[in-house]
Amino acid sequence: MRVTKGAWLVAGTALLALTVAACGSGAPAGGGEGGDTPVRMEIGEPKNQLVPGLTTEAEGAEVLGALFEPLVKYTKDRQAEPNVAESVASDDNKTWTIKLNQGWTWHDGEPLTAQNYVDAWNWAAYKPNAASAAHFFQMVEGFEDVNPSEEGAQPAAKTMKGLEAVDDLTIRVRLTRPNSQFRLMLGYTAFYPLPAKAFDSNGKITQKYMQQPIGMGLFKMDKPYRKGTDQVIDLSVYEGFKGDKPKNWKQLEFRIYSGQSAAETAYNDLQAENIDVHDSIPSSQLISAQTALGDRYHDDPTSLISYIGFPITANPAFAKPEVRKAISMAIDRKTIAEQVFSGARSPADDFISPAVDGYRPGACTEACSYDPAKAKELYAQAGGPPRIDLGYNADGGHKEWMEAVANNLRANLGIQVQLKPEEKFGVILTALEKHEYKGAFRIAWLYDYPSMENYLTPMFGKAAAKGGSNYSGWTNDQFDELINKGNEARTPAQAIKFYQQADDLLLKDMPYVPVFFHRINWGHSTRIRNVELNMLDQVVWAKVEKADAA
Amino acid sequence: MSSGTLARRRAGGRHKKRRGRPAGLWADAWHDLRRRPMFVASVILIGVLLLMAAWPSLFTSIDPFDARTCELRLARQTPTPGHPFGRDNQGCDLFARTVYGARNSIVIGMLTTLATAVIGGLLGLLAAFHSRWADAVLSRVTEIFFAIPAILGALLIASTFRDSEVDSILLVVFALTILGWPMAFRIMRAAVITAMSQDFVTAARALGAGPWRIMTRHLLPNALAPVIVISTINLGGFIAAEAALSFLGVGVRSPDISWGLMIAEARDRFQYAPLPLVFPALFLSVTVLAFIMLGDAVRDALDPKLR
Repeated sequence: MRVTKGAWLVAGTALLALTVAACGSGAPAGGGEGGDTPVRMEIGEPKNQLVPGLTTEAEGAEVLGALFEPLVKYTKDRQAEPNVAESVASDDNKTWTIKLNQGWTWHDGEPLTAQNYVDAWNWAAYKPNAASAAHFFQMVEGFEDVNPSEEGAQPAAKTMKGLEAVDDLTIRVRLTRPNSQFRLMLGYTAFYPLPAKAFDSNGKITQKYMQQPIGMGLFKMDKPYRKGTDQVIDLSVYEGFKGDKPKNWKQLEFRIYSGQSAAETAYNDLQAENIDVHDSIPSSQLISAQTALGDRYHDDPTSLISYIGFPITANPAFAKPEVRKAISMAIDRKTIAEQVFSGARSPADDFISPAVDGYRPGACTEACSYDPAKAKELYAQAGGPPRIDLGYNADGGHKEWMEAVANNLRANLGIQVQLKPEEKFGVILTALEKHEYKGAFRIAWLYDYPSMENYLTPMFGKAAAKGGSNYSGWTNDQFDELINKGNEARTPAQAIKFYQQADDLLLKDMPYVPVFFHRINWGHSTRIRNVELNMLDQVVWAKVEKADAA
Repeated sequence: MSSGTLARRRAGGRHKKRRGRPAGLWADAWHDLRRRPMFVASVILIGVLLLMAAWPSLFTSIDPFDARTCELRLARQTPTPGHPFGRDNQGCDLFARTVYGARNSIVIGMLTTLATAVIGGLLGLLAAFHSRWADAVLSRVTEIFFAIPAILGALLIASTFRDSEVDSILLVVFALTILGWPMAFRIMRAAVITAMSQDFVTAARALGAGPWRIMTRHLLPNALAPVIVISTINLGGFIAAEAALSFLGVGVRSPDISWGLMIAEARDRFQYAPLPLVFPALFLSVTVLAFIMLGDAVRDALDPKLR
């Protein structure tokens, strides 16, 4: 899940990322030799060490995306196309064969092998390693042996029996049940490989590797990154890289911004050309950014959705669907989108983002439309609580819209609303995990891979209610059954039908309230051009050119 | 300033002669103050602000705590009839919010001033009057507090306790008092030590007055003036400090209203919507200025030597 602390929060499974993103590139004008000065991008501090299995948020994923190259890439129409993999094939969606392309090497020159993938995935799945990406592998046969779901149970094996390196370039994966989404998942951070050098004799990842990971992507790491101390991560182009390389530059630098006004500070730096890419321009600056950056300002659709969530199992006051529906109907999404976000968000009308197939415009018509009179009536009938707390993280630029939501609820429902800003999103998530959080909260979800299913299972599935990112605690057996049917379906169209039926259950019960579909607002400096983002909102570095070296 | 004071002292002298008997310190000061335009101006300003703090509804019919008065779609509207300052980023009436914001600023300023004067004054009196040992300990303690940068220290205290259920206004008062009392302590201690060497104290002692009587009848009345002066001047400073803490997010919290909070909320959009920042900032500056002017005038009147 990618949870975003910033503009978006995602909780859950695999995908999304945090806040403010970062990107940067920048090349200072260095005379004829543009290649010598780094391209600089803003990021927030990665939540964990830079290891694929530990990284399920957007900031760390941005850095890992530069160090590693995924098995599959996503096309504009959200299909997986082979990349490091030559092919990903299956007859029954249950046994998958992944063939690797020849000639890929690690940054130290060692060849990339199928075993590297098997090792990395087994490491991530193994319970004692406590990898946040472990749940990505739960559909693999033998996952229960390495990561028993019972609390306190010890794993019976260190490796999953469904995972096998048939030869140097072939991986065979057996799933416990057919899953048509498996090919799509392979492009996510969690499925990157790890070199043999990463492990010590006990099969643990060494401290040295965590600080200076050896990857197989476009960039290699020049010096160790000490998390919490270092404010920059320096990378340079790996000459042995098999894919496309940037034309006229070689150095990449990620600059870490943290604190309450990180996005604002970085935006000032972008204007001063101290950084080259900023992918989380704060909403209060959107109007001025359009004039200040001109055609270097970009406003693109993204897969992020924000919700208002409720701790349904932890606080009986939110137990009735009518209470949640009334809250939903009391929020004037359209006006908030216009006045607070200058149109950079649009009112959400589904639990699913328009960025994936299966989204139905207007799916949430009644409960997501602004109807103060009906909201008040419904809330009174259902006996909604006279006072609610509304939690958000203070570091992600949420204050203004949360104030607006609170004003909506106060005015339209006639209740007291206390805003509860927390320093970091993690504070709220941790309290939710322990079922100690009683207030409503903001949360956001960015997909990990472009599939409708990624908006359902991680946030509302039964398995995710225990240690995953199902923070409301809402569960429904029929919902899980429909997801499974969707996963087992032979064609994407069939799968989507089942997923949409599952979505209908959400729309009926409203465990969360969808609030906004986001756009990603980013910009770059005059020193670079040809900047674009891929389907995971990461910068496509190979295409970036330095302007001054032309 | 100095020539004015001279004139004032001459006037005071004439006054005494006219009345035929010596006026006391307070009567003299009052007579002096009434004639100073700075004093009159600041008293009028403070009077209006106090009225605003006590009965904000006299100034505006809009209740800013009623969310129904906010119209988000009209956010950042410039002044219109009925909304003389326009609307803020949430579409709430800016004038009503600014008026209601006076209460927290003034309550916090006054409570802090009172608390620092009482705590610092009492400790100062005790330190000066009692044993050397108590004086040494208390003086060292104040030096430690003096060494802490005030805003930084208050920030630390306020942020440490902000998760507790303590009322945010009391918390600000507490944080500022902890860091503000040493000033009153020092002034009081110095004044008491000076007074103790006066002949009338020796005389009182010779006549058999006990320590309690000496303290209350002789020392306190003679040492009170400088503490009052410094407290009045500090009041403005405390109001500014409250705004700073609220601006930084550890002071008064929404949905309470405070000028510092309003400034913080308006700063990101200042470039194209300056009014939501300008008005609370203006009120804040004028309030701080009024209290500092008052303090200055009182100081000149009560203790010309301090000039």
